[in-house]
Amino acid sequence: MLLHYKCPNCGDDMAFDTESGSLSCSSCGHQENIETYDDAYIEHAFADDEEVKEYHCENCGAIVITDADTTATSCSFCEAAVVLGDRLTGKLAPKKVIPFKINKQQAQEAFVKWCRKGILTPRGFMTANRIENITGMYVPFWIYDINSKVEFRGTGTKVRTYSKGDYIYTETKYYDIYRKLDLYYSRVPADASEKMADDIMDKLEPYHYNDLETFKTPYLVGYLAEKYNYDDKDLLPRVKGRVRKFAQTYTKSTMPGYATITTKNEDIHTKNLRAQYALFPVWMVYYNLDKQQHTFAMNGQTGKVVGKPPISKRKVAYWFSGISVGAFAVIKSVAFAISGVFW
Amino acid sequence: MKKFVWSLTILFLVALLPLPVAAENPATTHVYDEANLLSDLHMEELETIAAEYGEKLHIDFIFFTREDNTTFIGDYMDDFYDEKALGYDKAHGRAVLVGIDMSGRDIVIDAHSDVKEKLDTDRLTMIRDTITSDLTNGNYIEAFTNVIYLTDKYMQFKPGVNPDNPMYKTSVQIIVALIVGGVVVGGMLFRMNPRMTTNAGTYHDSNNSEILGKRDRYIRTTVTKRRKPKQNKSGGGSSGGSIGRTGGGFSRSRSSGKF
Repeated sequence: MLLHYKCPNCGDDMAFDTESGSLSCSSCGHQENIETYDDAYIEHAFADDEEVKEYHCENCGAIVITDADTTATSCSFCEAAVVLGDRLTGKLAPKKVIPFKINKQQAQEAFVKWCRKGILTPRGFMTANRIENITGMYVPFWIYDINSKVEFRGTGTKVRTYSKGDYIYTETKYYDIYRKLDLYYSRVPADASEKMADDIMDKLEPYHYNDLETFKTPYLVGYLAEKYNYDDKDLLPRVKGRVRKFAQTYTKSTMPGYATITTKNEDIHTKNLRAQYALFPVWMVYYNLDKQQHTFAMNGQTGKVVGKPPISKRKVAYWFSGISVGAFAVIKSVAFAISGVFW
Repeated sequence: MKKFVWSLTILFLVALLPLPVAAENPATTHVYDEANLLSDLHMEELETIAAEYGEKLHIDFIFFTREDNTTFIGDYMDDFYDEKALGYDKAHGRAVLVGIDMSGRDIVIDAHSDVKEKLDTDRLTMIRDTITSDLTNGNYIEAFTNVIYLTDKYMQFKPGVNPDNPMYKTSVQIIVALIVGGVVVGGMLFRMNPRMTTNAGTYHDSNNSEILGKRDRYIRTTVTKRRKPKQNKSGGGSSGGSIGRTGGGFSRSRSSGKF
């Protein structure tokens, strides 16, 4: 089932507008409020034979080419934005979505600005006029509510040194430390798409949850979207590992004032309370430089750019020699001013 | 007006006249080796170097060796300076005197006239500390020539500066500059890596989290002690330096000790 949003006013294609947060028509400016949109079909479960499905564009009739994970795209023939409704239903139905806050033009500008900051990147990169492709994409995430019960036993030391007579005394006080904590972590995200590198997605965080909305299909109109490849159980170990570190850090933070802390026994029981399927906005920027393609990701809500920019060896050499020569000149002149000796 | 022009012309001509220069009296003999510590060859070498650097630095370098415990060698050097009216630029002028007495293994270095501004007691002591091991080992020619070379080096530094500070060495300055360049560029490269912007507190739900149990029980105290590190700088044979006057009333800086 293909969803295609036409303007009830003039019949043109509608798309999601980041500024108003509603569906809007690019021709007549008509806006539809997404929250009141009827999404009754989402409750309906379709048969599991989606792989063989062919989608026909309702606009022009051409076959919409998608891969198996795509849930929103545009018709390659007439460019009409379409949502593949049956891939967003039943257990594939997202619960939540953070809509795009940054539109394509803002994303492009933010990326160019970010590129200019890189003074060690090649000259061509700094102008950033070679963005090949910039794609807005809803990436599937699982967001977990986690409870960690921590029981910690250890030994802490407090050290004081003082001098008396000809000796320096080091006084070490030992303490027996016990902590029992009940910790809650809410909405810890984990990227559920096969295609996205976990470390890049982790670095795009944080997403701010005050923009978290109940999912409605019109949010996807005009963007690419994917369904999850890993379900909440697949990703739970990764999230538990992450939360375990959070809990350890928090536990340590309840023991201020100790010079050293050694652990005798640390029990951390991590339990998943709830996992929700959510879509987070990401701008993917594809960039060509010296026949090499570079990929950058940008948080579609906050604008944070993640990616390793190319490094110009020549610029590194210039900066290194420039700073070294400058530092030498400063050192030399200070030394000369103080000592009166040049060589 | 005419008068004014005339007086200006005369003033100008007077300025062109060569200024009267103080008569120079560089020493002809630099080495008085009564204790026979130096071979003829070394005597000749030391004389040559003393004359050469004396001309360069406008300093009379005078070396004494003797073996006589009736008087302190320092007093003998003062009298010698007074009597001979030493000084490269004038009588009782710029001179550096080095004396060793084998009977008491004393070493004395004096700097006279305005040489003592740059060769103050601290620097004289540094020179003396440097040459002490050579003297102990009997390398007298090494020790004496080193006094001249170090004087040449130290005279270039403004008074009050430690001339042995490594930061005044060009090689050290280059290394430090390269380290600065490396650290700055390394930091720039490191900052280009994307960083995590979440931490342990980002997803922490402080409304529901609570501390159920908390106990810090004191067990015991241990105390260890160690001796305070001693703060003396140089080893044996060292004594101090001082500013003093010769019997004739000429002020000089001095550093003396044993070897």
